[in-house]
Amino acid sequence: MNAVTPQRAAAPAPVGLLAELTHRCPLRCPYCSNPLELDRRSRELDTATWQRVLTEASDLGVLHVHLSGGEPTARQDIVEITQTCAKLGLYSNLITSGVGGALDKLQALYDVGLDHVQLSVQGVDAANAEKIGGLKNAQPQKMAFAEKVVALGLPLTLNSVIHRGNIHEVEGFIDLAVKMGAKRLEVAHTQYYGWAYVNRAALMPNKAQVDQSIRIVEAARERLKGQLVIDLVVPDYYAKYPKACAGGWGRKLMNVTPQGKVLPCHAAETIPNLEFWYVTDHSLAEIWSDSPAFTAYRGTDWMQEPCRSCDRREKDWGGCRCQALALAGDAAATDPACSLSPLHAKVRALAVEEAAENPPDYVYRTIGSNVRSPLKEEAKL
Amino acid sequence: MNAAFPTPGADESQRLLSPEELEAALRDIGARRYHNLHPFHRLLHDGKLSKDQVRAWALNRYYYQAMIPVKDAAVLARLPDASLRRIWRQRIVDHDGDHEGDGGIERWLKLAEGVGFARDYVLSTKGILSATRFSVDAYVHFVSERSLLEAIASSLTEMFSPTIISERVAGMLKNYDFITKETLAYFDKRLTQAPRDADFALDYVKRHATTPELQRAAMGALTFKCNVLWTQLDALYFSYVAPGMIPPDAWQPGEGLVQEAAPASAPGGAAKLVAGDVPRLPRGVRMRFDQARDKHVLLAPERTFDLDDNAVAVLSLVDGQRTVTQIAEQLAQTYAADARVIEADILIMLNDLAEKRVLER
Repeated sequence: MNAVTPQRAAAPAPVGLLAELTHRCPLRCPYCSNPLELDRRSRELDTATWQRVLTEASDLGVLHVHLSGGEPTARQDIVEITQTCAKLGLYSNLITSGVGGALDKLQALYDVGLDHVQLSVQGVDAANAEKIGGLKNAQPQKMAFAEKVVALGLPLTLNSVIHRGNIHEVEGFIDLAVKMGAKRLEVAHTQYYGWAYVNRAALMPNKAQVDQSIRIVEAARERLKGQLVIDLVVPDYYAKYPKACAGGWGRKLMNVTPQGKVLPCHAAETIPNLEFWYVTDHSLAEIWSDSPAFTAYRGTDWMQEPCRSCDRREKDWGGCRCQALALAGDAAATDPACSLSPLHAKVRALAVEEAAENPPDYVYRTIGSNVRSPLKEEAKL
Repeated sequence: MNAAFPTPGADESQRLLSPEELEAALRDIGARRYHNLHPFHRLLHDGKLSKDQVRAWALNRYYYQAMIPVKDAAVLARLPDASLRRIWRQRIVDHDGDHEGDGGIERWLKLAEGVGFARDYVLSTKGILSATRFSVDAYVHFVSERSLLEAIASSLTEMFSPTIISERVAGMLKNYDFITKETLAYFDKRLTQAPRDADFALDYVKRHATTPELQRAAMGALTFKCNVLWTQLDALYFSYVAPGMIPPDAWQPGEGLVQEAAPASAPGGAAKLVAGDVPRLPRGVRMRFDQARDKHVLLAPERTFDLDDNAVAVLSLVDGQRTVTQIAEQLAQTYAADARVIEADILIMLNDLAEKRVLER
């Protein structure tokens, strides 16, 4: 009884799996959450492997599967994968751009038991939307897709990523969601990782615009109660406390990349020296409980001050590790989006400064480009 | 015998009660029949009513408030001397106010506006239940046609009102985020006015009910008045809580409001679910057992709701076939409980889910 092996607190079972089925996408949004280095088609997992991963996820306690990408309908086997979710009782959420082959596959997806569709809309005005998404004629395709989703009786959520290029359209997004018959609308201010970090100066709105957008959403929520649910994600840089990124590191979510690498969040690869495991080498359960990437920042043991003694440490779990790395140069630091971080004032000043300048051009998302951040190195404060 | 409004059994004897005994008997009527005991008031004060149900109450009760000065003027017209009239006329002043924008009726209109109504709609009284109109009109007629003693005795419900007002103000402020202290200004005044009015009326009744017959008449009048109030709540409960049968022409949720999206035009319907509705879980919302966590969950777009045993019992019966009433009846049988109470409870739960867009009808 006295030779006790030290044990980590058992990880709670994950509730969500973000399945990035492919990085291929017809759109080129400059705030895409995918990594700068995108996986090529030749390295994507095959159908059988995804089906095994889903089965393991179900056994592990996952309830929601987010079929994402890239554009998930770019995969020929999207219907088979969705059907596997349905058979396992997993709640399937298709996160789609609605362009390309999405519309053609919708009926089949419905027939095999797809539960929910989340459709991205880049803007309300078609020209603006297509400039942001970097694809001509995308808007009519999206509208036709939304119409079919609602006609089938599938619940539709519109997702609008908000930045200085469309923040004037928040009211319009709300009207559009109502007009389309969506049940939910996500008004998600850009989170600055991945491509959005590169394009931050082109995307960052000013504080007055952000405040105005929040007021519009709050008024609409009251007005549309029982008709449209509006989820609001406020921009980190202007917030008082950081968000619990992915519900806390290694607490709720697993993210599987097109080539089978398993991440605690979609931006985790930006943190150097983290060891990620692959579904081709390990079971999902092993990866969840034992992989170095998942255990690195799980719980509170890794925390420094001011997080370590903070009474919010189990509310926001120190905020976002990737943002801490990007802005503070240390992934174990307090997220500088937190007002308690010594760097918070600088981050805020940076946002204000960038929002005040004329926006640079977008750096569009592409596979195989050698992208360097246009931000000066002073971004690492 | 005053058969229409039977008085308490103890007073069937022809004995003359002392003034103290008479007061005790009158208070006993309130203890048993005053409308603070009505299930609708319990729901109101406990925060169990939806906003629309509170609106229905405010709208209907306006008619009662508006007719109170008419009733008091009828009493006033029959009072034989100036000293009594000076006292009684204060009631009319309290209610009508001394000038535009003053008085109890005005404060009730503020309350109705506070819960979303357009002023003109409330003033028109076109949305009130017929039962409200019948009850209130019966009260005005009673006061005009019965003896002066009965007319005054019928006002004695004011003896009981400070309790209900305190309960109401505290309960409503605590339980409804759409009710503010300003909205409830009506009740602030009534807390001091009602006891003053009741003191005078009680004293009058005790001095003038000098025979067993007169005493029984006074008690009968107070019982009648309790019934006037009770009947109005019966009608509200029947129409807007359970079974939720709103009569033709009466107010429907969404009507007569200011700055509200008209729920009737909303796809899926933003209007509250009522007892006669058939709820269903739409595509994309399903209940399942979560083996890893050993509990039932409701899976919905981007959300998971943890369900307790009660919620599981209710949602298991939400099949797109049964009405809310039928679900409540089924549960009442299973759990040997009162179907009316269950119905009120599950309507709250189902409306909460409907507001989150995971339940439809």
